[in-house]
Amino acid sequence: MAELLAGLGTSHVPSIAAALDKGLRDSDEWKPFFDGYIPAQDWVRAHKPDIAVVIFNDHGNSFFLDRIPTLALGVAEEYQPADEGWGPRAVPNFIGASDFAWHLADQMVAGHFDPMICRELDVDHGLQVPMELVFGRPAAWPVKIVPILVNTIQYPIPTPQRMWELGQLLRRAIASYPTDEKIIVMGTGGLSHQLQGARAGYINPDADRAWIAKIGADPARYRAMTREDYIAEFGSEGAELIMWLVMRGCMDDSVRTLHQQYFAPASMTGAGMVLLENMG
Amino acid sequence: MTITDRIPDTPLLDRARSNAGYALNKMAMGLSTPAGRAAFLADEDSYLDRFALSPAQRAAVKARDWAEMVRLGGNLFYILKISAVDPTPIRAIGAAQAGLSLEDFLDQRLGKVTNG
Repeated sequence: MAELLAGLGTSHVPSIAAALDKGLRDSDEWKPFFDGYIPAQDWVRAHKPDIAVVIFNDHGNSFFLDRIPTLALGVAEEYQPADEGWGPRAVPNFIGASDFAWHLADQMVAGHFDPMICRELDVDHGLQVPMELVFGRPAAWPVKIVPILVNTIQYPIPTPQRMWELGQLLRRAIASYPTDEKIIVMGTGGLSHQLQGARAGYINPDADRAWIAKIGADPARYRAMTREDYIAEFGSEGAELIMWLVMRGCMDDSVRTLHQQYFAPASMTGAGMVLLENMG
Repeated sequence: MTITDRIPDTPLLDRARSNAGYALNKMAMGLSTPAGRAAFLADEDSYLDRFALSPAQRAAVKARDWAEMVRLGGNLFYILKISAVDPTPIRAIGAAQAGLSLEDFLDQRLGKVTNG
């Protein structure tokens, strides 16, 4: 059966991509942020995952408000970077793990999750940035991907509890997949930020640091919180953090936090990362 | 139009806002293609004519009044595409919504840092 190699949570702030595109990786402002990912990058490189399941939200790039899937699953052979207004970024196309994706589609629907199944899909910074933070800027990505898209833009958004349950289902889908491939699950978004309204610019570094410290060791509170709790504590766009719960719900109750970092703010966002491994 | 926020100063794209802002967001979504951006840059009024914006929404777009666009149902992830054709830093858009100067916004909200 396939192996759940690790769970990784990370921000996907578009300014991270812009900094890379502008050659600011090693600038005084950004170097501490990017350097914080090096230990996790080294660990992932050494453990050679075959597939990355990336849970993220589209930011009004691939889906317009005419049709918003609460949950969508990519089964494509290949994904191109989306045009977010500035033209598609010069990152390699992403190769889909379509065999596992179709297996996951079967498992999801059988388990009473009913995603929109996407055969042609451009992917925006929500997927691009985590891939770049984990795998750098290779000529070709070293893993195939399975995108899971969660609506966090138009209300109602799904509940944190539903995200956790989706993680549990993903775990069963990995366990029942008859290959020896190694899978890393990446929950993305957050941490605290709010981009709209008079509370724009809200960040909550104390809450962010607590999240980074506890999402591995003691996630019960985050699993129990309401959507409104997330918005109040982490800001309206900070509610993206519910997508980390898919990753956490996929893991064992007991996990080791291999690496972590927190940096604030990246642009207008608290930016953080954890790399989790099952205790086994 | 006044829409009450369930969480103060935090406009969520719920039914009321999504309905109010649909045309405005659709206009902005049109800027995610090279053809849409070229049309906007060549003749903004003609481009805006393609969409059923209210007079207030149209005025807000023309004035690049980000707070007003959001108040009228615009969602940042869509209207941000306007900043791709008329470059505006995201933190300036944030400051405008907070009703602060950029300097005060960075200082009071973000701890006066410059990343991004």
